[in-house]
Amino acid sequence: MNNIIELKNVTKEFKVLNRHEGLKGCIKDLFSRDYKIVRAVDNIDLEVTQGEIIGFLGQNGAGKSTTIKMMTGVLEPSSGNLIINNRIPYTDRTKNSQEIGVVFGQRTQLWWSLPLVESFKLLKDIYQISDENYNEMLELYGSMVDIETLLHKPVRQMSLGQRTLSDILAAFLHNPKVVFLDEPTIGLDVAMKSKIRELILELNRKKNTTVILTSHDMGDVDALCQRIVIIDKGNLLYDNEISHLKHFFGIYRTLKIRPRENVIEVANKLKDELYAFEVSITNDDTWISILVNEEKNRIMKVLEAVQETHAIKDMQLKEISTEDVIKKIYEGGVRN
Amino acid sequence: MKNVTGNESGAAIKRRGLVFYTKIYFKIIAQDIKSKMSYRADFIISTIGIIATNIAGFIAFIIMFGKFPSINGWSYYEILFLYGFSLISITPTQCLLDNNWSLRRYVYDGDFVKYCFRPINVWFYYVSEVFDVKGLGQLVFGIGALVYAWIKLAIPVEFLLIMKIIVALVTASLFMMALQNAAAASCFWIQNSFWLLDISLKMKDYAKYPITIFNDVFRFIFTFILPVAFMAYYPSLVILRPDNVPVLTWLSPVLGVAAFYGSYKLWMKGASKYDGSGS
Ligand SMILES: Nc1ncnc2c1ncn2[C@@H]1O[C@H](COP(=O)(O)OP(=O)(O)O)[C@@H](O)[C@H]1O
Ligand SMILES: [Mg+2]
Repeated sequence: MNNIIELKNVTKEFKVLNRHEGLKGCIKDLFSRDYKIVRAVDNIDLEVTQGEIIGFLGQNGAGKSTTIKMMTGVLEPSSGNLIINNRIPYTDRTKNSQEIGVVFGQRTQLWWSLPLVESFKLLKDIYQISDENYNEMLELYGSMVDIETLLHKPVRQMSLGQRTLSDILAAFLHNPKVVFLDEPTIGLDVAMKSKIRELILELNRKKNTTVILTSHDMGDVDALCQRIVIIDKGNLLYDNEISHLKHFFGIYRTLKIRPRENVIEVANKLKDELYAFEVSITNDDTWISILVNEEKNRIMKVLEAVQETHAIKDMQLKEISTEDVIKKIYEGGVRN
Repeated sequence: MKNVTGNESGAAIKRRGLVFYTKIYFKIIAQDIKSKMSYRADFIISTIGIIATNIAGFIAFIIMFGKFPSINGWSYYEILFLYGFSLISITPTQCLLDNNWSLRRYVYDGDFVKYCFRPINVWFYYVSEVFDVKGLGQLVFGIGALVYAWIKLAIPVEFLLIMKIIVALVTASLFMMALQNAAAASCFWIQNSFWLLDISLKMKDYAKYPITIFNDVFRFIFTFILPVAFMAYYPSLVILRPDNVPVLTWLSPVLGVAAFYGSYKLWMKGASKYDGSGS
C-alpha cells in the first residue's frame, strides 16, 4: 500500500446540546437529550501518497479543520475508515503523533515564554530526536531562513509572522512523514505569506514530507500545490490537478467598485444594465463585486459600461476568490 | 537527491516511562523558572506578595485562635499544627497543577487542541506547562508553623514519627490534588464549571480546622463527599492523637492514591471526549 493517508466514507457529526441557563440548567444539561446534530464532514474519500502537497480548500465552516483533527487523532470519525501511515490515528494517538507535525494558524504550540531554541530542545527530548538528526535539521533551517534572529527570541515577543514561521519549523523538526498546516497564512501580510510558502515548498522537496495545507486563500494553493481538494459544507466537491482548475479560474477576475450612490440600488440597476456581459453581481455594504469571464468580455469594457451610468468612488481588481471558484463548480463551469 | 526519511527509525523510539517524564518535567520547569526570573521586577514583586499574603493569613489565624486556650479539646498549638500541615499539603497542588485553573478557558477557546498533538501523555503535557513558584513561599511558612507547633507540643523527634508525618503529608497532598484535578476536569462536561474549581479552593480553607468543630452534617460531607477531612485532619491524627487513631486514618494513604488516580482518569476521559470546539 503506497498511500500515506486514506479516508474512506469518513463522516463526522457533532452533537450540539441546546444549552440551558444557570446552575439548574447546567445540571439538566448533564443528562439532557436535547441535541441537534451537525454534520461537519460528510462521507469523504481521499487518498494521498508520500511527498504530495495537497491544497485543502473551502470556505469558513466547510469542515477543513474537523477533517484535520480526525487525521491527527484528536477526533474520532463518526463513521468510515481513516488510516494515516497504516494506523488508526484516534486509537493510536501517541504513535501517530510521533510521525506527524501539526500547525494550527494563530495558535502557537511552542512554549510561550521560552526562546525558540529552548522549545526546540524540549521537542528534541519529547520526540527523541538524535543529536545528529537535530543538528542536521537546524543546519537545514539555517540555510532557509534567518534562524539566528528567531532562536533566541521568546515566542511571546514574536510577531505573528515570526511565530507562524517558528511553528512550522517546529512541526518539521522531528522529520515527520506528514505535516498538517491549518490556515498557516491567515492574518499575514503578502511578504510573510510568500516567505512561508517558499519555506513549506523547500521543506517538502528536501524531506519528501507529505503536506496537507488548508486555506481559503487561492494564492497559497496556487503557489504550493499540484493537487487541490475542495470541500464545501462537509462534502467533497473537487479533487484534481490544480492546472485543471486553473484553466477555469485563470480566466475569471473580479471587478470591485464603490459607487457614490446607494450600493444596493446601484447593484440592482447594474444587474439589468450589464445583462449582456453575462457577469454575476454580488454586493456587501460598501462594495459591488462583478465577476467577469475575460474570455467573453474584457474587464475594461465592463468598467466603461458601469461608468457610463454611475459615478465611482473607488475600484479594485481581484483574482477569483475561493467562494467564486466554489460557486463556479456548483454552476457546472468546472468539471471534476 | 531526495532524502526519503520520515521515521524508519521508529524502533529507536524508546517507551516513554517514568524516567522519561521526570527528566522532561525538570527540564520544562527549569526553563519556566529561568524565564520568570528574567523578568526580575515581576519576580521580586510577586515574592513580596507571597510573603505578605502568608503573613496576613498567619495574623488572621492568631487573632482568631489566640484568644482561646482550646477549642473542642484542641489546643492552640494543635490547631497551629493543622494550619501548618494544611499549608504544606496544598503546596503540590498549587505548584504542580496550577495550569488546571486555565483549563476551562483553553477548552472553550478551542486552544486545548494544541495539547493533543504530542506523542506524550496529554495530562502530563498540560500540567507541566506551568509551575507556580508562589506555592514554594507557602511551603516555607507551612514548614515553619508545623515545626514550631511540633516543638511547643513537645512531640519527640523520632525517626518513626518523621516517617509518619511524611506519609501523612503525601496522603493529604494527594487528596488536595485529586479534588482540584477532578474539579478542573469537570469543564469537559459542564459549561459553567468555574464554581466547582472555586469550591475546591475554598475547601482547603476548611481543611485546617479539626473536623470535630463542625456539626454532623458538615462532618459527613467533609469525610465522605468532599475529602476535606483527609487534607489535614485524619492524616495528622497519627501524630496528634496517637492513642486514638480512627480506621479512616490508616486507610487514608490508600484512599489518597485511589482518589488521585481516579481524578487523573476522569481528566483523561474528558480530554479524550474533547471535541475541539471553538476552532
Ligand atoms: N466541536 C464542535 N462542536 C460542534 N460543531 C462543530 C465543532 N467543530 C466544528 N463544528 C462545526 O462543523 C463545521 C465545520 O467546522 P470546521 O471544520 O472548523 O470548518 P473549517 O475549518 O473549514 O472552517 C462548522 O459548521 C462548525 O460550526
Ligand atoms: Mg478551520
